Amino acid sequence: MNKQEILGILGAASRDPLGYARAWKEKTGRPVIGSFPMNFPGELAHAAGTLPMILQESDDAITLGHGLLFPFYCGYTRSMVDQAARQEFRVLDAIMFGDHCVQLLGAADAIRMQLTDTRVIFFQLISSMNDPWTLGRARESFETLKTELEEFLGKPIDAAALHASIKLYNRNRQLIRALYDMRKAGTVRLSATEMQYIVKSSMIMDKAEHTALLEDLMAWVKAHPEPKGTGVRLHLSGHFCQAPKPEVLEMIESCGTVIVGDDLYHGFRYISTDVAESGDPIDRLAEWYLARNTGVPCPTRVQNNVDWDAFLLKAMREEQADGMIVLMAKFCEPHMYYYPEVKEAFERANMPHLLIETEHEAMPIEALKTRVETFVEIIKRREAA
Amino acid sequence: MKSYVMGIDFGSTTAKTVILDLKGKVVVSCVAHMGAVSGEGVKASTEGALKQAGLTQADIGRTVSTGYGRRMLDIADKNFTEITCHARGAVTMVPEARLVIDIGGQDSKVISVDANGLVAQFAMNDRCAAGTGKFLEVLARAMEIRLEDMGDVALAAKEKLKISSMCATFAETEVISLLAEGQTKPDVLGAVHAAIASRTIGLVGRVGKKGPVVMTGGVAKNPAAVHYIQEALGMPLILPGDPQTAGALGAALIALDDYRSEHKAELAAMEEDGIEAQMAEDKACVPGCRGNPTAAPKKGLLGALGF
Repeated sequence: MNKQEILGILGAASRDPLGYARAWKEKTGRPVIGSFPMNFPGELAHAAGTLPMILQESDDAITLGHGLLFPFYCGYTRSMVDQAARQEFRVLDAIMFGDHCVQLLGAADAIRMQLTDTRVIFFQLISSMNDPWTLGRARESFETLKTELEEFLGKPIDAAALHASIKLYNRNRQLIRALYDMRKAGTVRLSATEMQYIVKSSMIMDKAEHTALLEDLMAWVKAHPEPKGTGVRLHLSGHFCQAPKPEVLEMIESCGTVIVGDDLYHGFRYISTDVAESGDPIDRLAEWYLARNTGVPCPTRVQNNVDWDAFLLKAMREEQADGMIVLMAKFCEPHMYYYPEVKEAFERANMPHLLIETEHEAMPIEALKTRVETFVEIIKRREAA
Repeated sequence: MKSYVMGIDFGSTTAKTVILDLKGKVVVSCVAHMGAVSGEGVKASTEGALKQAGLTQADIGRTVSTGYGRRMLDIADKNFTEITCHARGAVTMVPEARLVIDIGGQDSKVISVDANGLVAQFAMNDRCAAGTGKFLEVLARAMEIRLEDMGDVALAAKEKLKISSMCATFAETEVISLLAEGQTKPDVLGAVHAAIASRTIGLVGRVGKKGPVVMTGGVAKNPAAVHYIQEALGMPLILPGDPQTAGALGAALIALDDYRSEHKAELAAMEEDGIEAQMAEDKACVPGCRGNPTAAPKKGLLGALGF
């Protein structure tokens, strides 16, 4: 298969995650376990023979969900509740809820009321990342999660299977990171939407199937070097739980920009960190959880020796990015609270950045385009002056 | 080599054209009212400007377009956003300005600029038309008053009323209610203009208040809008002679820089006093520019109109 054929498969799964899950379930007869972003260790559910998938915001307008969640909840949580109310999640055998923001907690309750027959597993992860007890508490959470999964599935999760899942997940992450490196170096051309499809489909698809496609993609892109993209080099930041809309990404690139890096959850954040493959797998997963916040800092976690803004500036220097566009999902409280620090740091560093607030509902693309074009003009004229 | 350059601001309700000679002197500027973005409107503006100057399109060496319809103009060699162009034009009109408030037909923007007219920061309305010329237009219709009379009537306001809705449609409902309560037209119109000022100050807050402040765009011609914005801002607004053409002037200046930099050697030979250093930044155009003015009239929107 060539690059476009592979991206076509990944894009199809990204656009219709529940459709993929239904087809997988029909083919394998095995359970599908949905989870909230952003810290659920899919390896555990994978080792148990299920399809773990991170639940995705739908493109559909909010309908029945309006009556269940206030409009000042973020688009992701409203869409989750709406999909639950419309019984779209019937394909799921269980849902794993996390607690990394207050809105997700509210959405979990609303979904629970809609899916009375679906097993709900709720797990909490410590958000204070560098206290003496953090690692132990994270380990306890993963151990509890494993026990609950075993109880639900009626069989133990075998250590060897978990090791194999960790290895497979690592390989998957490594391949995507290699694509990121190639894109940064300009040896492969992947648009922001294509990169999103690669990462998003990894959250959805059977990991072995996805990894095989990535291996094919890697072989193809290595054999077919592409000319380096030209334009203003940008880093995309933000958007945690939900994927930015492809039309927004395409609009940004249509303004003469090349996306050379990101810290989006549906991007580098998801695949930044591997799990060590030796020793006790639960210990390793707990360490992975802590290491992820150093790999790509998250504003939902608290770690006094890690700064997201410092990370962004360093990443941009490495990417030789000319500027950054911050994509902030409307009503995303962790991002809203942290953004002033990013803004201040970028102004201090004289690094151009533009904030775009995104919404679940239709966005005024033409007005946004004027803003992005102006941003591009500012960068170009500053460089030339 | 040609002797003139042109800037066109293809806005949402008016089309503005400025023609400069190669020394940057304004030869002519022309404003045409369109009602909505239309090929006829922009054609009237560009043709009017050319006619006033006694020129034809063939005399124009470089054309830069801006505004909502900037990508629709085949005669433009490049296009730049209205934010970049308004900043450049406003600082040329008022060199000491460091903050530009531009309120046009369908958008309002606040731009922080440096001494070279380069944009430092900007904020614009990107969700609704509240606080723009369209907002005034809708309410003028609701109050059965001519748009151009609104400002003067509003300045006669005696009572301070409040319109809380930022949505033009909801504001219309509030206006009707106030009139039904027996409030006077001047008082209600005062509240309408105060609402615009409040919205504008919100944008100022986003980029940071500083001065001197210049106001451009069609709404700068409305004395009540100027009065209420000054009052809310607590600072005087500097009004250029022709605030509506700031964007077209900025576009023309960018065209001039671009053209002069390309013909630097020829110009230096022609001019005893040489030529100023080129401004390479004016090469910085975004994609979508259509270029090739010689071939352009045969195709596209203006071509179809026989331009």
